[in-house]
Amino acid sequence: MARYREEAAREPQEPLTPALFHVLLALADGEKHGYAILKEVALRTDGKVRLSAGTLYGIIKRLNEEGWIAESSNRPAAGLDDERRRYYRLTEDGRRVAVVEARRLEELLGMARSKKLFRKAELA
Amino acid sequence: MRRAEVNPDSVPVSKRVFRSLLRILPGDFQSNYGREMEHTFEDQTREARDRGGLAGLVQLWWETLKGIFQTAPREHWEILKQDIGYAGRMMRKNPGFTLMAGITLALGIGANTAIFSVVHATLLRPLPYPQGQQLIFIRQQSLKSGMSDIGFSVHEIQDYREQNRTLSGLAEYHTMSFILFGHGDPDRVRAAVVSANYFDVFEVQPLLGRTFLPGDDKLGAPPVLILSYEYWKNRFGGDPEIVGKTFELNDKIHTVVGVLPPIPQYPLERDVYMPTSACPFRSAQKFIDNRDARMMEVFGRVKPGVSVEQAGADLSTIAGRLKLQYPKSYPDNLGYAAATTPLQQELTREARPTLLILMAAAAFVLLIACANVANLTLARMSRRERELAVRTALGAGRSRLLRQLLTESFMIALAGGAVGLILAYGSLELLADFAARLTPRAHEIKIDAGVLAFTLLAALGTSIVFGTMAALFTRANLSSSLKEGSVGTGTGQHKNRLRSALIVSQIAFSFVLLIGAGLMLRSLVKILRVDPGFVPQRVLAMSTTYSFSKYAKPEQYVDVIKKVLIRVQGEPGVMSAAVAGTYPLEPEAISAGSSAFSGSFQIKGREIGAAEAPPMGNFTAISPDYFRTLGIPLKEGREFTDLDGGKEQLVLIINEAMKRQYWPKENAIGQFISGDKGETWNKVVGVVGDVREFGLDHAASPEIYYPHAEGPNPAALIVRTTLEPASMAATLTRAVHEVDPQAAVTHVLTLEQARTESTASPRLTASLLGIFAVLALLIAAAGIGGIMALTVSQRVHEIGIRIALGAQPSSILRMILGQGLLLAMLGVGIGIAGALALGNLVKSLLFEVAPTDPVTFAGVALVLIAAAMIATYLPARRAAAVDPIIALRAE
Repeated sequence: MARYREEAAREPQEPLTPALFHVLLALADGEKHGYAILKEVALRTDGKVRLSAGTLYGIIKRLNEEGWIAESSNRPAAGLDDERRRYYRLTEDGRRVAVVEARRLEELLGMARSKKLFRKAELA
Repeated sequence: MRRAEVNPDSVPVSKRVFRSLLRILPGDFQSNYGREMEHTFEDQTREARDRGGLAGLVQLWWETLKGIFQTAPREHWEILKQDIGYAGRMMRKNPGFTLMAGITLALGIGANTAIFSVVHATLLRPLPYPQGQQLIFIRQQSLKSGMSDIGFSVHEIQDYREQNRTLSGLAEYHTMSFILFGHGDPDRVRAAVVSANYFDVFEVQPLLGRTFLPGDDKLGAPPVLILSYEYWKNRFGGDPEIVGKTFELNDKIHTVVGVLPPIPQYPLERDVYMPTSACPFRSAQKFIDNRDARMMEVFGRVKPGVSVEQAGADLSTIAGRLKLQYPKSYPDNLGYAAATTPLQQELTREARPTLLILMAAAAFVLLIACANVANLTLARMSRRERELAVRTALGAGRSRLLRQLLTESFMIALAGGAVGLILAYGSLELLADFAARLTPRAHEIKIDAGVLAFTLLAALGTSIVFGTMAALFTRANLSSSLKEGSVGTGTGQHKNRLRSALIVSQIAFSFVLLIGAGLMLRSLVKILRVDPGFVPQRVLAMSTTYSFSKYAKPEQYVDVIKKVLIRVQGEPGVMSAAVAGTYPLEPEAISAGSSAFSGSFQIKGREIGAAEAPPMGNFTAISPDYFRTLGIPLKEGREFTDLDGGKEQLVLIINEAMKRQYWPKENAIGQFISGDKGETWNKVVGVVGDVREFGLDHAASPEIYYPHAEGPNPAALIVRTTLEPASMAATLTRAVHEVDPQAAVTHVLTLEQARTESTASPRLTASLLGIFAVLALLIAAAGIGGIMALTVSQRVHEIGIRIALGAQPSSILRMILGQGLLLAMLGVGIGIAGALALGNLVKSLLFEVAPTDPVTFAGVALVLIAAAMIATYLPARRAAAVDPIIALRAE
């Protein structure tokens, strides 16, 4: 994993795609299986971002390869578990990447504010 | 409640659909995430149904489809990028293999691309005219006298034009050479004389001016000309003001009315086109009125929706009707008929067999190349086996490995294809020259999108063949190679058998190719050794064209010919000179074919049965010194003198072939022959030796020479010289011009050049097949050498033990050579069977050589076995030199 860590630590990093960032965010507060990630993203965005199974697992594959998420060995109690499901958690690298992206967005927002991009009505 | 509203089976059905949808994702992706995705999709389906019913399901499916179709290409592309990078690294790591495989494939693909560009341009591509497939060529035949194309007369063209119900147009065509005056030197132009609707039938639009109008071919219409694009460009520098300019031709002023676009011209390239009314022969009333004066060729266009067969039946019906109507013009014993062929087929009739054989030969080369590269790949795989096994153990799926190997092989094939394309491009001009001897479509040959697609397909197909062969085999052995020790002798046995089979098939294919080339070569040698019947050394021939209108009467022609001959014979360095209608092996006569000169005749005192075909022979007008000039031996009787040919001296000289056929036992001298249905009778006064008039591979047919005073035809001037003949061209041309400055002298050629020219087509076919065969031989020899080297290196340990136990190096040498010999013999055995089976395909191209010629078979077998032995010798010597101590220590 050493290679990934180096890459993740390298700044500035390329902006992440919104869908990818949403998946990282969904895992920020705990491990989840695929369907749970979909639901979380949909719920948090009021249904504006809807990931399909194909898109989601394309993202999961990429995040896995980058080492930003990992499969979790913690599984629910035997009665609640479904052996077909896999649970994913955010790795340290993944968290760092997500933080960098969040900062980038924050800076961007800051710039928009300082340029007085928003009118009062819009702010409210 | 909602559940009841939707189809209760929807879950399993949708699951099945979803599952099959997942198949478009890469294999690894499927096996990693497929089940999870299905599960997630099930959850989504349930939720969508509970929340949104049918509309929710529709939305879910839409999003799912979109997601998968977006993800799949991205994932495949990722893998491809990885594989290409990996393959590139592997290729750089094994430059020897890459180079060897690349070159082999470049040669194979190059050969195929080159030949395919010819096949594509001539046999496959439709004619470059609107609805080219509607164009047909109509031939009038006299089957019983063996003539497949006797031409049409004016009356016949009218009848076929008026009576047919299947053609939208029917055009006539014949060619003539005229002298054009008006701008610079008198120029001999190759003219096509056509009906006014000619360009309408071909649907050609002019580049400048107009094409012919319906009135242009009426008798007495003002003479007009249309220039071909090439003639306009080359002779007049593409003068944009050319339309309206005038030229003198046959004593008449002709006006240029149009210029053709740059289109291929069929059946021949011509300089100018003129309507039938402008041709002094075609417009002569005597010619028009004579139903039996057949000279013209006929093209047609079938109506939309009518097949060529239907048109053929229609025209045959007309032929039958004419036979009933004019029994005198169509006697039963000649078997008149009308034959219809698609124009494209007609234009490529001669080229087709040669081109298809060359295409098959090129395909063989590619197959041999494939087998070789497969063998190289297998050899390399055995070194990479452990690497691949490790990757499998680390979780790379089998399909993933197969895919990677295929990517590697495709990259090599693609590189080979690119180089092959360059090779093909380089050889294009040479090939077009070659094809021009076989078909007028040759200058359409080029490398276009179709050829590029073919090359890409050839590369793809090639990589699939050799890549799969190697990959499948490697896959079968992956599991065992980790378990085994380092060398893997156990699986080696099995694999060597496959390699040996590949070698044997290479040798077999090479054998067949070598037989093809060998047969062509043998037949070429036989052609070159044929006695042409004349002495071609130190003879110069040239075409001479005199103004038809200036010498309207035969006596005037005789007079000018006499003057020219006296003038020419007076030149220093001239031994003798003659004038004739044609000379042996004249290129234009060969391309016109013997039927252009042949006619029927009668023999006094011999009645022909009503159903019997009349005798046929070739008629040639000659001046007295013709035989002496060409070195044709007189066998019996006498030659012509200046007195022959008058009304009192109607005489003929025949060749031995004619004597053999009609007077095998009797004396031919003194017999009488008529060429005009008994109106006049000529006495045979001499018999001369046979001459190969129409090609060294054409046996002499009955030949009738008549004195030119009887019907002068000064088309050729033939001169025997004491000096180098080519050096006299200018002197002789000047001599002709001193007699008639307006005569055109063209096509100056020594008879040795004419002889060489006449064998160009078999020579080129033999060379091409030879090149392919040598390529195949080299590739196969490299293959057999390679596999023997590999066998030796695998068996170093065993050979070391043998030597340690007392085996002599010479017996080791014999053992390895024996193995090579066994493979070669097996290949040759299969090759013999293949060559015998395919022999009939080349039969039409051979001359006095049977497709089963034992000399060729024995020679090729020897060459192939010798090549295999030489290739085996190096590894065998290495085996014999194995040091047992080193070999055993290495283990």
